[in-house]
Amino acid sequence: MKKVMMGNHAVSWGVRLARAEVIAAYPITPQTQVVEELSEMCATGALKARFIKVESEHSAMAACIGAASTGARTFTATSAQGLALMHEVLHWAAGARLPIVMADINRAMAPGWTVWTDQNDSLSQRDTGWLQIYCESNQEVLDSTVQAFKIAEKVDLPVMIVLDAFYLSHTYEPVDVPDAAEVDAFLPKRVTRYKLDTNDPRSFGALAPPPVYMEMRLRQQEAMEEALRVVDEVDEEWHRRFGRRYGAVESYRTEGAELVLVVSGTIASTARYVVDQLREKGEKVGLVKARLFRPFPTAAMRKALAGVPHVAVLDRNISPGHCGIFAEEIRAALYDLEPASRPAIHGYIIGLGGRDVKPENIIDCVDRTREAARSGKPTPREDVWVGVQP
Amino acid sequence: MSQIVIKDKIPREELMASGHVACPGCGGTLAMRLVLKGLGPKTIVTLPACCWTIISGPFPQTALGVPLLHTAFETAAAAASGIRAALDMQGDKDTTVLGWAGDGGTFDIGLQALSGAAERNEDILYVCYDNEAYMNTGIQRSSATPWGAWTTTTPVGTPKSHPKKDLIAILAAHRIPYAATATVADPVDLIGKVQKAKAIRGTKFVHILAPCPPGWKTSDEETIELARMAVRTRVFPLYEVENGQRWRFTAEHPGDPVEPYIRKQGRFRHLTPEQIRHIQAEVDARWELLKRRVEFSA
Amino acid sequence: MAEERTASDIVHGVPPIAVSSTSTLANRTGSWKYIRPVYQDMVAPCNAACPLGTDVEGYMNLLREGKVAEARDLLLRENPMPAVTGRVCDHPCQTHCNRALFDDAVNIHAVERMLGDLEPEVRQPVPARTRKERVAVVGSGPAGLACAYHLARLGYAVSVFEADPEPGGALRYGIPEYRLPRIVLVREIERIRAQGVTLQCDARVGGSLAWKELESYDAIFLASGARVSRPLELAGRSVADVRPGLDFLREVKAGERRTVGRRVVVVGGTDTAVDCARTALRLGAEPVVVCQGTRADLSANAEAIEEAIREGVRFEFQVWPIGVQTSEHPEEEEPLEAIRTMFAEGDGPRARLTGVECVRMRPGEPDPSGARRAVPVQGTNFILPADTLLTALGEEPDLGFLPPEITRKGYVVKVDEYGRTNHPGFFAGGDITGEPRTVAHSLGSGKRAAIGIDRYLRERAGEAVPALETQELRLGGTGNLSITRWRGDDPIRRASPVNEVVPYDQLNMAHFAGVPGKTDRHRSFEERRSSFAEANLGLTTNEALAEARRCFNCGVCNMCELCLIFCPDVAIKRHPSGHGFSLSYKYCKGCGVCVEECPRGAMTMTREGL
Repeated sequence: MKKVMMGNHAVSWGVRLARAEVIAAYPITPQTQVVEELSEMCATGALKARFIKVESEHSAMAACIGAASTGARTFTATSAQGLALMHEVLHWAAGARLPIVMADINRAMAPGWTVWTDQNDSLSQRDTGWLQIYCESNQEVLDSTVQAFKIAEKVDLPVMIVLDAFYLSHTYEPVDVPDAAEVDAFLPKRVTRYKLDTNDPRSFGALAPPPVYMEMRLRQQEAMEEALRVVDEVDEEWHRRFGRRYGAVESYRTEGAELVLVVSGTIASTARYVVDQLREKGEKVGLVKARLFRPFPTAAMRKALAGVPHVAVLDRNISPGHCGIFAEEIRAALYDLEPASRPAIHGYIIGLGGRDVKPENIIDCVDRTREAARSGKPTPREDVWVGVQP
Repeated sequence: MSQIVIKDKIPREELMASGHVACPGCGGTLAMRLVLKGLGPKTIVTLPACCWTIISGPFPQTALGVPLLHTAFETAAAAASGIRAALDMQGDKDTTVLGWAGDGGTFDIGLQALSGAAERNEDILYVCYDNEAYMNTGIQRSSATPWGAWTTTTPVGTPKSHPKKDLIAILAAHRIPYAATATVADPVDLIGKVQKAKAIRGTKFVHILAPCPPGWKTSDEETIELARMAVRTRVFPLYEVENGQRWRFTAEHPGDPVEPYIRKQGRFRHLTPEQIRHIQAEVDARWELLKRRVEFSA
Repeated sequence: MAEERTASDIVHGVPPIAVSSTSTLANRTGSWKYIRPVYQDMVAPCNAACPLGTDVEGYMNLLREGKVAEARDLLLRENPMPAVTGRVCDHPCQTHCNRALFDDAVNIHAVERMLGDLEPEVRQPVPARTRKERVAVVGSGPAGLACAYHLARLGYAVSVFEADPEPGGALRYGIPEYRLPRIVLVREIERIRAQGVTLQCDARVGGSLAWKELESYDAIFLASGARVSRPLELAGRSVADVRPGLDFLREVKAGERRTVGRRVVVVGGTDTAVDCARTALRLGAEPVVVCQGTRADLSANAEAIEEAIREGVRFEFQVWPIGVQTSEHPEEEEPLEAIRTMFAEGDGPRARLTGVECVRMRPGEPDPSGARRAVPVQGTNFILPADTLLTALGEEPDLGFLPPEITRKGYVVKVDEYGRTNHPGFFAGGDITGEPRTVAHSLGSGKRAAIGIDRYLRERAGEAVPALETQELRLGGTGNLSITRWRGDDPIRRASPVNEVVPYDQLNMAHFAGVPGKTDRHRSFEERRSSFAEANLGLTTNEALAEARRCFNCGVCNMCELCLIFCPDVAIKRHPSGHGFSLSYKYCKGCGVCVEECPRGAMTMTREGL
């Protein structure tokens, strides 16, 4: 069934198809339509879930922790300040190995006050132990949301579905809504080995002294490694059932490319357009879309980029004092490649705080990369801030 | 009957195990034991950072015979709401969800979540075991610390200069169906209130005064006596509030002078007679207010 | 999902999350403590104060549990005459009752009386004669009967010899009917007889009973009482002109006398004085008691004085008789039979008493001992109109029948705490010794002598005797000896008993509610003035049982469970036997809350490792 819907409603539909049982959320622009739509779905009975209208994002995540610990399939959604407020309990959810799914509508961090998109909110939760999947389209949002529950419950880790404020959240696109019965077959009811159960009274999250704490973190890390496999496996199954797949890393027209752009989120769509234009002109430019950020798909990224002479990473984020975060991660991932096949990485900071990323901005990045390549000089470590006033 | 015999009114089931690591004479531990006796095995506990985080034993132990979810400091009421929601989805209406927090986690950092849950009238029982300071971190003042008390952050030169927050009034203002105070010195009253709360749907709040020998600088064996004195002196009256409107005393409050109660506690050792008179005046004033509430709603 | 997971969830030695798999029972938190609580039964002050050494607390507790027969049996272990002591003892148990410091002392004597008055449901079996020795008891007053009773229960053959035609001694002739009805005494003596004691009356030593015959017994207990009234010295008159009050009481009790004069003056502050006055009142007189001291100085029971005053007896305190006024010519209009009897024994003319000359007294200068003997106040002489004068200045024993080798001490026989005289095999108790002149003390001295005789005869037979110091037998270390302790067959289970009295401040009053004590019911004063029916009606059975529930049970665990309820460490459990508690020192941290909260001082803290 095709429906035209905004990205936020695609999230809601994904949650509805996944039959989440407990939702706890607090409103924040640009996430509000997610919870409004879910409220509506709960009110009409289309979604049989308890929706806890909590008084803060912190409590939203805490309630999700309580519900997920009791065996419920659990969902929340937020943005920016809300996500930052949740920070403490994001660690908790992951450390407690709870398969909570959250949608984060990427919004830049204040101050000054902003509601527009960039990735600093979600990327600053990099080390909380959550999986992060960055989406490019409303279809991908819906599909990834459903997939997220299956991945989460397979590896007992929480998953964050990330989409750009407004460029996706408020943008209407046609979306194929899968048949509910088929989704049920894909994603049966949650079964859990441990939960709060009066017939099997146990404590969860007690004091973990030094002799056991590291092992628990090691197991969390191993689950993350397992998640790399599971993300692909679930994506494959999704493809078998529904005919769509996304991959942890997507390569687009990279055959024989001398320059590959690496982007994430909605910039990927603009970049596809630019690559198509350039390819039409016979220029050897390709695109890699980074979809899975955590766990970081090092092998897939190497496979996609090995042997490409120049890679331009466009980061809609900045780790102040260092560089764009994707660029940093990709440099680290490719470091161990043989020097002959190791690309030169060119970093670009772009589109912060919702600034529009237009085709000409991307072309600018391509040109600057080529110029740097031609100069023969070592690749600069400093990112280029695209489109900023001098 | 001359001796007030209570043994037949105390459920025999023990849902708390020995070997927990509470300090000797811990009022908060006895409070847990008694509350669980009142609630029975169909109970799920969630507790934020507090003394009980430690008391319940390190991984892989638990001191409780009911499920227990440890959670972040400010989240007891929210986590309890989540547990309740999940149980509701499972069709389980019998299990009591118990949010169990100290005064720091309730009066201070957890008040927002508690207020949220109370306003939503979540079907949970929230118990604050109040030892009147951040005891687990080493005796720092909280908004439950009484006026004049020494703590490590209100040293003798500048003891606490604000009175204790009136939490029941805050909860009553949320019009929750049930709010009550209790102490470990009156197990029948405490268990009775807990059982009453268990039978009510909606948010129930029980505030238990739990003397803390290391934090109050009192003798281990005096825990019960201190709680009893707190009631008799009206420092901590025993009462309940239904729907935020019907206030009712549940014990006798003879109004013994506060001085012996104060003098028993090392945390008040520095107080001058004049300062103790100030405490007495404060207690009297609060008592008058409470009495008016009770009389007004009678 | 779950089924896909491996069977074992442990990797790197841990589960995926910090989920518990065991309880805190592995933590031996008991190792933290340096002091530990122990259950330690102590002695209630009533028990220690009882001149008999009765386990008051013990029977009160059994009554609380509804075990009335067991309570009666426990009482009878120490006290053969509870129906008597429940009436005539001045109950120091109540004076020492810790509850007196809280609201009202427990009305112990009324509970004791109720138990004593119970009809025995099952006749108690006669104790087996397990001993070959025979013991003779001289005198069937409280001391003699108590000694006989306890010896019979210890397996001895006991013969009691009584000079009077009826047994009971002072209980029979010295205590008026309105205080101790004859039927009560008869039943008590029956109870003692039922233990296999042989009673032989009209057997006066030196008379119908030869001293030689007594000496054939293995041991002798001498308890012939004190029946010689102290004389009143009056200037210018023969002592024969006044009558001993004790004789008056005996005559009235025996039914030999039914009248007395109208103006009866009784001299003395003893119980006998008060009894004489109250008896005279019932015979229609207007008695006046004249005593040297103030009201507080009197040796008579204070309650009895109060009763007497309320019945209509007049007291003249700090007054003393110095002479009598008589008339040589009896007035025709007052031909009182009583007066004739009074002076019939005199050698002089049949003078009739018309008044007693008295003088007011005041405390004199302290003598070397600090006592202030009363001295007359000059010029305060006055005449108290009187037609009858009774003296009640105390009694002394007649020791004339005793062999001279038995050591005296003043007017009495010298004995130790087991009633031993200096002469082996000869024991004495009651009023012929220095024992205080109360029924309870006499009963207690008989019991002590029974223990002394048992020890003597066992040692003589070369048998082992319990290695118990006298102090250990004394309740609370200072009370009377406990024959139950001597026998070592206490039916009350005690946890590490300590022979010390529990003071009030070791009790926790927070666990008690004020309940006013129930006082005895009495006949109306109007009724009493004309009747010898028992004045004090005691309590009904239900009232007495309610009174028993007021007992604090000082010092002895009664399973109230507060220790268990208040333990923060769940270290106290009910003992599987159903009695007592087991304390897990493996977990107990030694906080002491249990000891502090124990309502009755039945727990204490000791140093760890002891």
